[in-house]
Amino acid sequence: MTPKSILNSLTSKGIISDQQADTIVSFEREKAFSIHWELRAVLYLGILFFSSGAGILIYENIDTIGHQVIIAVIALITAGCFYYAYKNSLPYSHEEIDNPNKLADYVLLLGCSTFLGLEGYLQYQYNLFGTRYGLAVIIPTIIFFLCAYRFDHRGALSMGITGLASWLGLTIAPLSVLADNDFSDGKLIIPAIGLGCVLTAVGWISEEQNVKKHFAFTYMLMGGNLACIAAQIGLFSHSPKVLYFFIGLGLCYFFVRRARKAQSLVFLLMGTVYGYCIITYTIFTSLGIDAALGLGIFYFLFSSVGVIYFLLNFKKFLGIKPSGPKDEKGI
Amino acid sequence: MKKAYNQTWVENLHLQRQAAEWKYRNLLTEEQETQVKELFPEKFYRPGIFVKIGLFCFAVVATSFFVGFLSLFLLDASSEIGFSTLSLICCACFFFVLEYLIKTKNLFHSGVDNALLYAGVTAAMVPVFLLFQHAPVWAYCLIALAVIVPATLRYADLLGPIAIFGLIFTIMAEWMMKFPLGKALLPFAVMMLSALIYILARKNKDIYYHECRQILEVLSLVTFYLGGNYLVVRELNALISDLNVSVAPQIAFAPLFYFFTFIIPAAYVFFGLKRADRILFIIGLIAFAFSVYTYKHYFSTLTASQGLVLAGALMIAAAIALIKYLHTPKHGISDEQNRKNSLENLQAVITARELGVTPAGPSLEFGGGTFGGGGAGETY
Repeated sequence: MTPKSILNSLTSKGIISDQQADTIVSFEREKAFSIHWELRAVLYLGILFFSSGAGILIYENIDTIGHQVIIAVIALITAGCFYYAYKNSLPYSHEEIDNPNKLADYVLLLGCSTFLGLEGYLQYQYNLFGTRYGLAVIIPTIIFFLCAYRFDHRGALSMGITGLASWLGLTIAPLSVLADNDFSDGKLIIPAIGLGCVLTAVGWISEEQNVKKHFAFTYMLMGGNLACIAAQIGLFSHSPKVLYFFIGLGLCYFFVRRARKAQSLVFLLMGTVYGYCIITYTIFTSLGIDAALGLGIFYFLFSSVGVIYFLLNFKKFLGIKPSGPKDEKGI
Repeated sequence: MKKAYNQTWVENLHLQRQAAEWKYRNLLTEEQETQVKELFPEKFYRPGIFVKIGLFCFAVVATSFFVGFLSLFLLDASSEIGFSTLSLICCACFFFVLEYLIKTKNLFHSGVDNALLYAGVTAAMVPVFLLFQHAPVWAYCLIALAVIVPATLRYADLLGPIAIFGLIFTIMAEWMMKFPLGKALLPFAVMMLSALIYILARKNKDIYYHECRQILEVLSLVTFYLGGNYLVVRELNALISDLNVSVAPQIAFAPLFYFFTFIIPAAYVFFGLKRADRILFIIGLIAFAFSVYTYKHYFSTLTASQGLVLAGALMIAAAIALIKYLHTPKHGISDEQNRKNSLENLQAVITARELGVTPAGPSLEFGGGTFGGGGAGETY
């Protein structure tokens, strides 16, 4: 199976003419070996090495350099990054923008990260925000969302959503809970489900209204996972279990429906896996430990075979067109 | 060994990919690409990566509980003989289901078949470990090879070549370590074995094993380099001689290994560029980085941060210089992201064909009909 033999089979089937085959052969022969991505990888790695090495050097010599200088340097880098991203950006549009300058995307991400670093440094060194941590989190969040929409950047959007979630967590829960970084305090669960649902809804609306349609995937993936995980934790450790059970199953149903509409296998998988966990947990807790042990082997064997059967035949179940999902490569 | 997946579909899949690439480079028209998809069909079930992972996990759960399920019916499942019988029965079931699913559901490395294959191979190996407990390591490896090689030939699974590669090297190391002379010659044996595997892998032109071949190439290139790397040889030499010293002692043939450490990456990069072989080129770059680290490890006085800054600055400078230098392609190397054919060229060719200028047109279409009836296999 060389390009040559492929061309032969194409010409013998009459798909392309001999002349076109000759064109392709000469194109393949003249095609230069492109080391574009290798060179870019070396460049980015070099930048990474240089900046981390420089960071360590500065850290080792902090006494002779001083904090103001470092803050000024970080601020300069941040400003430079945002300026570069702005200079090389295309005008805003509701559609997806294909910026030919791929470097601008990375520079924007770098700018966002250095902005976080700058803020953290200021807070650590000068206690800029005092104990108003919520304020410290919401400022970068707003900036990230603005950047995401202005520069059409999904990475910035994910950072913004993460920031939003942590802001909500900070606002609701006392810090002691967050330090343990778990959901054990029941207060967090309902807001987390709420935020997840709101994010999912935002994704849905942006798709319906055709505003940055391609952001819908990010919104729904992050929001949906947050909501489903929160609902499961609620189901596992808090009452009323019935409420969480129905919320979780409702979300799963939504995702399976969604998979059908968007022909997206990720949502199908999310719906299936979360739904499977919720139903399994509910069945086993309501049966009691003895019955569960006896039933376990049969249940897991047949249910996982069932799930595999469902995933293998999802096209039939969901009525998805045989043309196949479009996002095979995109996800 | 008969292949499990439909060979024609595998070839068509490859052909469609090539056609898509030509379409992307404006060498084929949209209609021609659709035509290719119609005339060279493949009906494999190939979901996205997340669904594959999901299918794999559920299949693993299903297979493990299937073992549990069967053990309910076997009374003495706890004894060695009993458990061996159980695992052989499971093995047969797994392979039966695997074959059945591949035939009926058109699976093609879609998660379920991977899981079933691994479960089947594991189940086939369990009795060996249970019944022969004091055999030498190489005997286990040989038996494992006897199972895994046919399985890989049949299913072309990606873990197969990795396992085979590891087993072959384990056997070799086991045999060499028994003699003092063998220990000294181990690096050379590793290099020779790697070179042998690389040459054999390159000989395979079957598209069915394309990915397997690539994996073998990567592995053998890496081990060939590591076998000749000064740092690896020196540290491992101290390790297998059980020397408890903070600094590993100098090794025999040291100049030879210095030479290998620097010539192998250079050769990889050079031949990678010359033969347009991306695997060779990338591994050459990584090997070069490791060679620099080797040098730094023994001779450099720079601290880590200074080294990082220096390496970063050099890398940035080299990359920018090369990007500038390759602005226009030179020596068959370019810095183009994706070179496209100008559309006018293609249009001219197509128009010429439609106007009937191409003499071969009608007769070829006639021939195409007979080919179509005979099945795609004839064209290969």
